[in-house]
Amino acid sequence: MNPTTIMLVMILVPLLGGLGLMFLPRGNDSAVRPFALAYTLLTFALSLGLAFQFDWTRTQDLQFGFFHNWVPAFGLKFGFGIDAISLWLVLLTTFLMPLVVLGSFTAVKERAREFFLWLLVLEAAMLGTFVATDIFFFYICFEFTLVPLYFLIGIFGSTDRLRAARVFFLYTFTGSMLTFAGVLYVAWFNTTLDAATPFTGAGVWSFNIVTLYHAAAYMTVAQQSWVLLALLAGFAVKVPIFPFHTWLPLAHTEAPTAGSVILAGVLLKLGTYGLLRFAIPMTGVALDPVIGPVPGALVHFAPWIAGLAIIGILYTALICWVQKDIKKLIAYSSVSHLGFCVLGLFAINTIGVGGAVAYMVNHGLSTGALFLCVGMIYERFHTREMARMGGLASVMPIWSTFMIFFCLASVGLPGLNGFVGEFLTLLGAFTAGNVLGPWYAAVAGVGMIFGAIYILYMAGRVVWGPTKIPTDDHGDAHGHGHEVKDLSAREIGVLAPLAIGCLVLGLYPTPFLRSLEAPIERLTEPARLMIAARASNQARDAHLTDIMAEERALNEDGMTIIVPELPGLAAPPAVAPPAEPER
Amino acid sequence: MTDPLHSLTLAHYLFTGAVLFVLGVIGFISRRNLIIMFLCTEMMFQGVAVTLVAFSRYHQNDTGQTFVIFLLTIAAAEAALALGLVVLLFRRRRTLDAQAWGEMKG
Amino acid sequence: MNLDLIKFIPWLPALAAVLCGLCCTKKALRCLAAPICILSIASGFVIAFLHRGGVPPGGAVVPFFEWINIGGFSANFSYFIDPLTLIMLFVVCGIGTLVAWYAAFYMKGDKGYARFFTFVSLFIFAMTNLVMADNLVLLYLGWEGVGLCSYLLIGYYYNKPSAVAAAKKAFIVNRIGDLGFALGIFLVYQTFGTVSLREAIIAAEHVSEPSTAVTLIPFLLMLGAFGKSAQLPLYVWLPDAMEGPTPVSALIHAATMVTAGVYMIARLLPIFVLSPYALPVVAVVGGLTAVFAATIALCQYDIKRIYAYSTISQLGYMFLGVGALSTVGGVFHLFTHAFFKALLFLTAGSVMHALAGQLDLRKMSGLRTKMPVTCWLMFVGCLALAGFPLTAGFFSKDMILAAVMEKGLGEHGQPLFLALGILGLFTAFLTAFYTFRLWFRVFMGPEQYEMGEEHHGAEEHGHDHGHGEDAKPQAASDIKVEHHHDAHEMPLLMNLPLIVLAAGAIAAGYWAEHSGWIESMVESSTAAVHGGESAHAAELFGYHLHTAMMVISSAISILGIALAAYFHWLNRPAADAAARQYKSIVTLLNNKYYVDEINDAAIVTPLRTKGEIFFAIDRLIIDALVTLVGLVPRALGIGARRLQTGALQGYGLGMACGAAVLLLLVLFVAN
Repeated sequence: MNPTTIMLVMILVPLLGGLGLMFLPRGNDSAVRPFALAYTLLTFALSLGLAFQFDWTRTQDLQFGFFHNWVPAFGLKFGFGIDAISLWLVLLTTFLMPLVVLGSFTAVKERAREFFLWLLVLEAAMLGTFVATDIFFFYICFEFTLVPLYFLIGIFGSTDRLRAARVFFLYTFTGSMLTFAGVLYVAWFNTTLDAATPFTGAGVWSFNIVTLYHAAAYMTVAQQSWVLLALLAGFAVKVPIFPFHTWLPLAHTEAPTAGSVILAGVLLKLGTYGLLRFAIPMTGVALDPVIGPVPGALVHFAPWIAGLAIIGILYTALICWVQKDIKKLIAYSSVSHLGFCVLGLFAINTIGVGGAVAYMVNHGLSTGALFLCVGMIYERFHTREMARMGGLASVMPIWSTFMIFFCLASVGLPGLNGFVGEFLTLLGAFTAGNVLGPWYAAVAGVGMIFGAIYILYMAGRVVWGPTKIPTDDHGDAHGHGHEVKDLSAREIGVLAPLAIGCLVLGLYPTPFLRSLEAPIERLTEPARLMIAARASNQARDAHLTDIMAEERALNEDGMTIIVPELPGLAAPPAVAPPAEPER
Repeated sequence: MTDPLHSLTLAHYLFTGAVLFVLGVIGFISRRNLIIMFLCTEMMFQGVAVTLVAFSRYHQNDTGQTFVIFLLTIAAAEAALALGLVVLLFRRRRTLDAQAWGEMKG
Repeated sequence: MNLDLIKFIPWLPALAAVLCGLCCTKKALRCLAAPICILSIASGFVIAFLHRGGVPPGGAVVPFFEWINIGGFSANFSYFIDPLTLIMLFVVCGIGTLVAWYAAFYMKGDKGYARFFTFVSLFIFAMTNLVMADNLVLLYLGWEGVGLCSYLLIGYYYNKPSAVAAAKKAFIVNRIGDLGFALGIFLVYQTFGTVSLREAIIAAEHVSEPSTAVTLIPFLLMLGAFGKSAQLPLYVWLPDAMEGPTPVSALIHAATMVTAGVYMIARLLPIFVLSPYALPVVAVVGGLTAVFAATIALCQYDIKRIYAYSTISQLGYMFLGVGALSTVGGVFHLFTHAFFKALLFLTAGSVMHALAGQLDLRKMSGLRTKMPVTCWLMFVGCLALAGFPLTAGFFSKDMILAAVMEKGLGEHGQPLFLALGILGLFTAFLTAFYTFRLWFRVFMGPEQYEMGEEHHGAEEHGHDHGHGEDAKPQAASDIKVEHHHDAHEMPLLMNLPLIVLAAGAIAAGYWAEHSGWIESMVESSTAAVHGGESAHAAELFGYHLHTAMMVISSAISILGIALAAYFHWLNRPAADAAARQYKSIVTLLNNKYYVDEINDAAIVTPLRTKGEIFFAIDRLIIDALVTLVGLVPRALGIGARRLQTGALQGYGLGMACGAAVLLLLVLFVAN
């Protein structure tokens, strides 16, 4: 099959599955679960086929490109295409979905049909977001993910689900409206450009990502700042970056396990993905008509955003430590972890951004797994309060093994996946001399310690310690009879692939990381060049100051004034004009 | 030959249409009886239709007339539906007073 | 010689860990765990031994597979072998095999038998990675990996809250040091553009004018070393770590893991000498830790805790040695210490085993008749620890003290090192005293003891009834019954590794120094000190300094032993009287200078309070702000709802007026 077709089919399959669920014979819900599982597995198989067809030698290109005109008058298209970053996130999504479905087999007892329908629709929307090469189409999918999740939380959540669903929806929706305004502004700006501007698509309506990258470079820094802020409004809420995170703990605690897993595993990454795909390449450089290329808004804003990320890391890590609800703890830990991811992104170097992308995938695996583990406990005991349970290692050894394993992945133990991202983001921040610097890494690194504190605190309460089985209001132990059942084969089947994924990505991430290099270099190129140019400017200024001082000294001695020639003072350092777009 | 129709200019038609429309608006706003109000909306409709036909003739273009024929058909269907709804409303409250339906009051 | 086999040294235990993990799942397989584990570690030792002469000078890199490679950054699973690595491998795999052997008997009948050996195998995997790493990031992997195993093994008896707390503490305190280490790695990468040990060392050797950043590297790395090797101020976790099973204390918390810091500094010596202040700081911290921990050890009653503090103190010696640029001395002490401290812990384990978990010095006495072999094995260990002449500890400690004194008294005598040398001698005295205080108390004097309350090997006995899947294995109940009977000697097979260790504790020092093995090994590794001070040796009292120090330290050690014999064997009431007289000091020492309490009050509680405050801020301020923003549309809505009259005519009117306004607008604006 043609790879482009595979890609389209991959997105349509979950939708078809959702449609098919509605046509399953009524009153027979037993078929619903295997049916949904089959469709998610099929999607996973298709995504593997896609990865197989992917040309790994040019990972930076948006491969399998496909356009279908939608509203030609405004240049709206259905644009598809994937580079390595998208592909990995697609794989993460399709890999998590069957596990989520499998993990929800017994958790959802009523309205199962509807539940799995929303899950499948959600998968299609997420996949659409990652493969979109047309911002408008991206935005539609991005927003559409809210709808299924709104219902998943609102219908299948726990006690305070309605409020959680409402807050979640309104909060993220408000933010992304501003993002949309920013996108429209860039698109409109593109139409105002002279058609002779050296890239295709200037002067007409277009929402093609690559076209808009180039268009945005022609904005002034002030215009770019507004665009960046607008983009941030939506993406920062989604990530979430401190202080826009308060919707997350609420949504996570109230959501059903499947919702939490997808929320933490994939949906939060839409925010960081958006930042990487749009904010970073668009606002990296500003081509001033008079003085040529100057550092774009991104370069000015990066330290501030990274600062917020660091505050978020430490602040939420300490909050984690005082949580009583285990799910809330993990939810807050997500905020803390994503802080590392944002820090890496705004280091704007290959190591940092590569670490951030690695972090996106790794966090999806380990935190997703932690939510699944907690879900399994909740299914058994109907409580998430840590004070009511303890020492589960003696009654549920298999579960405890998995739990500890994922906790370790989450604290970034070398050899497991979490480490790769954490280490690289910190290293990236540390070595990002002209943007962030050692202090950023040092302060953020304290988050590593706090991370260990709260995760081990949780493990110490729940897994270790004297055995304590939660009792219900009548004082009876939960579960049928008085025995607590350890994981079933199905549940092991849910967690084991995740554990293997964590181990493989922890021990042999090289192919993964290598494939990220080229796309990251392409996306960060404008900003990196400007940062390098700024560095050489600073060096030149320092050199100039030295010479001036020398000159003054000579002057005071009454000697001849030597006017040294300064190399490169007249012309600002040349920056290669943005490359021609592919299409 | 003075065909009385020929002495009518576009303005006459437009005036008629406008009168119909304004009468309809006034009727809609001032009356409380649902059926009367509905008839008033129909009257506004016809006012617009007259205007359309007038312009159509004026521009020697049949589109407007065709349009009006469609419009009349749809208006008939819609009238049937609307009257059905009015009957339904009447059955609920045993009155045709529009004030009886104030649920939308904020 | 072909070095290919070397790379399997870490991965055999890794495989063993997986297999042992599988053994956990089936009860019948449990007994297989110990042989698998022992075999994997022993084969590591054999491989290392086969390569004893085959390591090229300057070391060799054995690549295995790629790990993290991105944007010019590269850290792979590849191993660096030089003589220093070999020494460490001998220690880790050698002691590891012996301890695992001992544990195979010690842990028998425990419910977590297979789990124990899984963790031990994992530990050896991490530790061998640590000592064989070719780059700093792989070293960091080993570093954190041993920390993890330490966490898992300290918390081995996970139903005990104290064990869980101790495990957590160990991990977190180590993490603090590790942060420093990680930042050090970042700085190395930034300055040298590589994390490869060899390249970084070569680059460091070519630095002519160290910049500020370069001189900062050793201080950051040092922090990691202090955390892992339990030095001031990060030592607090090690005493608590004694909650783990005793073989673990012997292997991890005495012989191997805790010496990782010393290894790291020795390995990266060329980087440490870049800053003129780095090594003196190491020496000062080492010296202070040595004396600080020794004083605490004086007044403890728990056998294992005494040994724990003694370990901290001895590690202080090693740092002192390395800090005085005597890497040979530091590594030598590391080597001998591994023997005698493992021996001491294992014999302590035997005592604990015999007395059903009893560890309190005050509750045992005169055990020499009940446990003769253990008694004399521990005696040998104590002699070596006390630095009794001609034992292993004597030679290595002496080498360190001589090196320190030489720096103090030599040509450019630094008073700092003189003071540290005297501190070292004083510590040697304290060491001899507390070591033999313990031994005389336990084995000499009238025979009386109380059994403890725990049953080793039956630790989780109580829970087994709970879910019934676990019928008690026969062996366990045997041991349990034995426990209840009386104190007893250990079986010969269990004592076998101890005898090997005892032989090492006596002979390893003499052999290693006089054959010149240790010196030639260290001097041909990256820890070699290049162009140090002149060979001109200082003199003390007219003698060659080295000789003089031997005499002095022998005298001090014998004095300490004699004093201990008087107070704790011959005239115990005198000791009690002395303790009463200096009650405040004894209380202070017994409470370990209240460091844990201070840490709790100064760090833990405030942080937790901050967490509470932040959580409150999150809910009450940030969330409230969001709600406030949400109130804006609501307030607008309250205003706008008046327009919504509910009367159809109202809407009609509004519509008409709106249309009219629009029309007028179009009319006026269009014209």
